[in-house]
Amino acid sequence: MSSWEILLQQVINGVSLGAMYSLLALGFTMVYGIIELINFAHFNVFMVGSFIALWVMHALGFFGQSDVLYGLPLVGVLLFVLIVTMLGTGLLGAVIERYGLRALRNVSGTAPMITTIGISYILYNLILLGVSAETINYANPMPPVRWEIGGVVLRLREVLLWAVSILLMLALHYFVRRTKMGKAMQATAQDQEAARMMGVDVDRVVLITFFLGSALAGAAGFIFGLYYNYTNFAIGYTAGLRAFTAAVLGGIGNLPGAMLGGVLIGLIESLGGQYLEVRWTDVIIFSILVLVLVFRPTGLLGRAAPTKS
Amino acid sequence: MAQPQLQQPNAAPGIDQSGASPSFREWTQGRTGRRAFLFVILAFGLCFPFIFPNEGIIDAAANALAFAILALGLNIVVGFAGLLDLGYAAFFAIGAYAYGIFASHQVQPEWWGFWEPFQWLGFVQHIEEAGGPGTVHLTVSFWLMLPISAIIAALFGVLFGAPTLRLKGDYLAIVTLGFGEIVPIVARNTPYLTNGAMGLNGVSSPSLFGYDFGIKSTPFFYLGLALAALLVFVSIRLKDSRIGRAWLAIREDEIAAEAMGVNRVKLKLLAFATGAGFAGVTGTFYVAKLQTATPEMFTFPVSVMLLVMIVLGGIGSVAGVVLGALLLQLLQSWFLQDLTQWIHAFGNFTGIEFFQKLDLVQSIELIFGVILVLMMRFRRQGLIPERAAVSALSHAQQTVVPARGAIQNALAPLRRRAIDPNKALLEIRGLKKSFGGIQAVRGIDLDVMPGSIVGIIGPNGSGKTTFFNLITGLTRPEGGKVLLAGEDVTGLPPHRIVERGIARTFQNLRLFANMSLMENALVGAHTRTSTGAIGAVLRTPHVRREEESSRARVLEVISIFGNRLMPRIQHLAKTLSYANRRRLEIARALVSEPVLLLLDEPTAGMNPTETLELTDQIRHLRDRGVTVLMIEHKLAVVNEIADKVIVLDYGEKIAEGTPREVHSNKEVLRAYLGRSTDEIAKAAAAS
Repeated sequence: MSSWEILLQQVINGVSLGAMYSLLALGFTMVYGIIELINFAHFNVFMVGSFIALWVMHALGFFGQSDVLYGLPLVGVLLFVLIVTMLGTGLLGAVIERYGLRALRNVSGTAPMITTIGISYILYNLILLGVSAETINYANPMPPVRWEIGGVVLRLREVLLWAVSILLMLALHYFVRRTKMGKAMQATAQDQEAARMMGVDVDRVVLITFFLGSALAGAAGFIFGLYYNYTNFAIGYTAGLRAFTAAVLGGIGNLPGAMLGGVLIGLIESLGGQYLEVRWTDVIIFSILVLVLVFRPTGLLGRAAPTKS
Repeated sequence: MAQPQLQQPNAAPGIDQSGASPSFREWTQGRTGRRAFLFVILAFGLCFPFIFPNEGIIDAAANALAFAILALGLNIVVGFAGLLDLGYAAFFAIGAYAYGIFASHQVQPEWWGFWEPFQWLGFVQHIEEAGGPGTVHLTVSFWLMLPISAIIAALFGVLFGAPTLRLKGDYLAIVTLGFGEIVPIVARNTPYLTNGAMGLNGVSSPSLFGYDFGIKSTPFFYLGLALAALLVFVSIRLKDSRIGRAWLAIREDEIAAEAMGVNRVKLKLLAFATGAGFAGVTGTFYVAKLQTATPEMFTFPVSVMLLVMIVLGGIGSVAGVVLGALLLQLLQSWFLQDLTQWIHAFGNFTGIEFFQKLDLVQSIELIFGVILVLMMRFRRQGLIPERAAVSALSHAQQTVVPARGAIQNALAPLRRRAIDPNKALLEIRGLKKSFGGIQAVRGIDLDVMPGSIVGIIGPNGSGKTTFFNLITGLTRPEGGKVLLAGEDVTGLPPHRIVERGIARTFQNLRLFANMSLMENALVGAHTRTSTGAIGAVLRTPHVRREEESSRARVLEVISIFGNRLMPRIQHLAKTLSYANRRRLEIARALVSEPVLLLLDEPTAGMNPTETLELTDQIRHLRDRGVTVLMIEHKLAVVNEIADKVIVLDYGEKIAEGTPREVHSNKEVLRAYLGRSTDEIAKAAAAS
């Protein structure tokens, strides 16, 4: 492979990873936009999502990567798994909000954040104790179809992954911009008190925000499994931190920003892995987080600076 | 100074002390009681190795002490300053590796002349090699490394805290989470320094006067006990000091803290560095005890465990944090093992497989998560709350006839500075600010003469509060100048402006809810006092005098409000009535010895009698040399006391003059009684 082909290949990989980080970052940014809370539970809702998808595939009789499907059955199965996973994590997110966080909505200080850490830790340990500490081979019914263009390989799973991510993001965009609930969300993000006085049911808006964000995290968890062919109880930590960096990079509270940030982080991961050393990837991404916070706290596309006022 | 009514701060003025014998809790809060209690605990600690003469138990106790110290350090960051640090274990790691590297065979540079002075100092040993120059063995003393590790960790704390301290506190959580993640990665990836994942080996054990600690548990236990006692002492001294109050103020309300003169960036960094320093010390202690260090010892679960300790014990409560740390260690080392055995026995007895297999020791982290969630939901103050309940006022005290507080002659601080009575104290020229497309303040000019009361009136949204924010530095002006006694203070940060002598109150009340009245008011003295962290810990005679005079000043100021606030001085601000909160805000501002006092709707929420009372008090303040600029909606108040009134409308000054002049002004009437629509259209066309 020529150096250009290597670069292009890594860009393809990076965009695929980026799609996953974008979906995950959207959940952070939506919740932050509405109630100014960093939701650490999101890290492990994502991880649980990858397990739900795996369990659904096991229930459907798919184990490992050898049972493959083609055409419409493939799309049908993937779509079914995706929808069940998203509903599962969405409900999980809604339950977390309703029974864990709602009572603390108006508590100032660190209490809500500490609660999300506690919830995250519970999810992490439930999977660790309930499943196992081992890395589990993922089920993947996609055939190893691949196209070679020059020396660059484009695999079917990447194409499908992009398609799913783009569709989900478009759906979210449509929901937020065009529907009544979406407008209520925007209003709540601007000014919770005013929205409440205009008849917006803020509790419901927050609940739905958690549901949507967590559903996207579930989709990201499924994609993680399909992309890397494994999952384990600990995937949430690193991926979550990267996705949060993506959200900050794009401008926290800003939906297109989260998508852009996700793709950039994906590219940094794949190109960094190619041209620098993999073991330093997290250090690089963390340095980016710190640099963005110092020099451009509003992120690339951010709205207001995240300072307190 | 003759102040017959001045009461001693420690006497909890006016609080009913005639009750029967105090409960244990009350007793431990008293000075003697607390000292005796601490003494008993310390005595128990000293006897511990004799009570449990078992290496394993003493070793576990020494570890528990190490975690108690870590929890104390984290408590300074999370509990005092309210900054959530999720990567605290990283500082623990830095302290551990600092000592580990300087006192092991890990780094062995070649010997040459450069090392000789260090050899003489005892920092290195020369290991001779046949046929070569030999190598260097680093052997820096443990006792020297204890403070050095603290300093190194504190420097890292400053380095990583600094980027986020201007942002909302949440960002610190995520940056520290990342920092906690990368420090073990760096340790793993730099085998030259740390021996990577294999871990450092052969770290020297400390020795004292020729006695080598080796791997014996007892000397480490006593060392841990000494360090824990020291750091408990440091925590308590810091908390009850100028520095500690500033931290609590930041935790309660950053904006108000800044507006009262607290430099929040500096104090947050100080909290972060102090906390990191505690961790550095503990890291050195811990690695000397284990004589090894691996990256896995310092990962995220350690940080979470520390967080659980302080949440369980009581965020911000020194005693609570120590208790939390000890409880968790007990839980892990003994209780869960026993409980698991009982459950297994129960499972064997009943034949239920689930109970036979259940292992609680393994689910310790799950239990941690549950503790965090349940404590936050049901008992946020922890097992030993930071503040104990203060006995309520008696019925007689609650229903007493309010005394109209006259200002005593002794209100000395208010005449602190010589002000030229013939020149304007505050000169504002062309002050401007817009938010998005809305010009909130458009070029306002104002002169305030010393010793006058100037009222600002205007419809809601006319830019009054923004005007105040511009003067006090909470909002940066886009144009114009603010001069105080001839000195340009435009765009200075709020704490600098308080220092210059402008203090304010807030329309929406920004008190420090979980601090007592006394502490709230003492924060006002922040810029007029100078005690630093070290002074606070040592409590030198100078610091003691400063503290006493600050407290005396607070009592002096609070006595302005007669018996309204005085009996409640040890109560938390959040327990006050609305009118009393307004009074306390004014008192807090006055303690900062302002030459100019900005009051934002001081009588809002007060009944007519109370309004009258406050009006009187404001006039007295003016007579004592404080110049007052006040926003007020109650025109009766303004008419009564203001020497001059300005009227704002749509960010412009539309009238200025005596109250009488302003009332007959056509513009003002129009602003208050409404503009006709064609006038609005005309104004819009003109702009």
